[in-house]
Amino acid sequence: MQSASDSRPRRTHSPRAAQRWLLGAALAALSLRAAASDLYVVCNAGVNLQAADIRDVFIGEKSFAGAARLAPADNSSAQAAFLEKVMKLDARKYATLWTKKSFRDGTNPPPVRATDAEALAYVLQTPGGCSYVLRVPTAGVTVVAKF
Amino acid sequence: MRRNTTALVGSRLCAALLLGLLIGTMPARALAAERAPSVEELQQKLDESIKAIQALTERVRELESRQPGTAVASTPAPAATPPGPAVAPPAPVAAPNTADTARIEALELQLGQLESANAGRGSADTGLPLHGFADVGVATHNPINADLKGFNVGNLDFYLTPRLSDRSRALFEMNTEVSSKGQVGVDLERAQIGYQLADQATVWLGRFHTPFGYVNTAFHHGAWVNDSLRRPGFLNFEDSGGIVPTHTVGLWITGAPRVGTGKVQYDAYVGNGQQIQGGIIDMRSAGNTHGDLIFGGRLAYLFNSGATEGLTLGVHAFDARIDDDALPEHLTRVLSYGGYAVYDTDQWENIAEFYLFDDEDLSGSSGSHRSHAGFVQLGYRTAWGVPYARYESTSLDQTDNFFAAQTSGASYHRSALGLRYDLGSDAAVKLEFADTQLTDRSREHYSAGLMQYAIRF
Repeated sequence: MQSASDSRPRRTHSPRAAQRWLLGAALAALSLRAAASDLYVVCNAGVNLQAADIRDVFIGEKSFAGAARLAPADNSSAQAAFLEKVMKLDARKYATLWTKKSFRDGTNPPPVRATDAEALAYVLQTPGGCSYVLRVPTAGVTVVAKF
Repeated sequence: MRRNTTALVGSRLCAALLLGLLIGTMPARALAAERAPSVEELQQKLDESIKAIQALTERVRELESRQPGTAVASTPAPAATPPGPAVAPPAPVAAPNTADTARIEALELQLGQLESANAGRGSADTGLPLHGFADVGVATHNPINADLKGFNVGNLDFYLTPRLSDRSRALFEMNTEVSSKGQVGVDLERAQIGYQLADQATVWLGRFHTPFGYVNTAFHHGAWVNDSLRRPGFLNFEDSGGIVPTHTVGLWITGAPRVGTGKVQYDAYVGNGQQIQGGIIDMRSAGNTHGDLIFGGRLAYLFNSGATEGLTLGVHAFDARIDDDALPEHLTRVLSYGGYAVYDTDQWENIAEFYLFDDEDLSGSSGSHRSHAGFVQLGYRTAWGVPYARYESTSLDQTDNFFAAQTSGASYHRSALGLRYDLGSDAAVKLEFADTQLTDRSREHYSAGLMQYAIRF
């Protein structure tokens, strides 16, 4: 017995259409890969920070940029890329570093935001706020560096 | 007649031609009549398709403009849509548009609300996180009091680092510990409130760990933080067998400005002069009766590049007037100075510290006394654990009231081999085998095997 779906007229694609689909899929994959490889470190518009200072900011060694007190926040959706590209640490060492740092110096690790959108919203709303995202940042934030 | 015949033939021919023309053109006209509405319909459908595409394009652009971080320019222009009869029928495209748009709008609204709520949620309304360390163990000789054997409870150590506004900072460490006499007590080990003047300077006021050497301000009371099972004996905390004032109540300024490729770490402090009570140094958290002070400092360079990356070289000194509860009371000027070296990398944790004591009896006539203490520890961080070896030694003048009045003021030397094995990111088991020789008050010699289970939370 033929099923209902089998009885439907099948939609056919010409070879040219198939080629278009393949080309589109390849371009999409390439663009996704390119996008995934970019990491943007962003700060609140009032922050003037050098790219060389990013590491110190996120391990609590640098708390000020001029008169502005820095308020870094981690972004868990982009943290793996950030730790690899910027901090040169794995997640375990980063956590251990902050445990020791906090215990020794009384400083607190950066709060954690879950997504790029949350991280960007935090940076936009927080004076001195800094974080990092995988997608092209929106207007209103300062891109400190792109990795 | 012929003329008539010709005319008749001509008229018939014309009629035939007209009939033929009529018959011949009828299918074409009929076909033209059929094709005319089809072209109009196609044109209409094409117009509808273009309108639908334009509507969709506008909608995508609107959504992307609302979504932060998305490049609007990446939206394809409507003109790029190829017009013509080859365009797919518009009905399947236009039909889901309304339903999908409504769903997208609803989802977008929810997402926006969630993002706003999360972004606006600060740490202030999530309370103060409580962290700490704890350790338990078993040993043939207790790590604090060698006369005790068997299972032991180490420390249950809580610390608080409240998030304060702007430049203020605070650190409180409360430790539930078992003393060398086996009694459980609670100590406010650190209670310091600070003001960060700049990245290179923070001023603390309160009770803090005296900044000398490396160990005293690196490991504090949390056993998990330390790769070795215990501190060097002479650097234990005052109520755990230590012989130097590991806590100070006073004022401390510290910082580490970048100099060259490394950093210069500096510390300067002043506080209440300690007092020896019941054989144990007390840091006089509420002040002392004579108003004498301890003051000191530490200066180090932290190498941060090249082959020496991870190396720290430093010097330290303190000068204190420390009395005791003997009758008559002794007052000693304790002058301690020394140096330290640390090589802390992904693979190595090597530490060496030495202390010289140049003390002077201010209450009697025993004069000046010289003593020394130090240790060297080598640790190697592997994937399976951290094996370490340590040698420590003290030579303390027993005619110096400062050491003579202390229960743990005897000289000794100790060799130890140990291993730290991490069970995860928050738990570690440590083993140590140590050989200890006392060298003055008694000549006791003992070997010990110790195990410790330490966690952080």
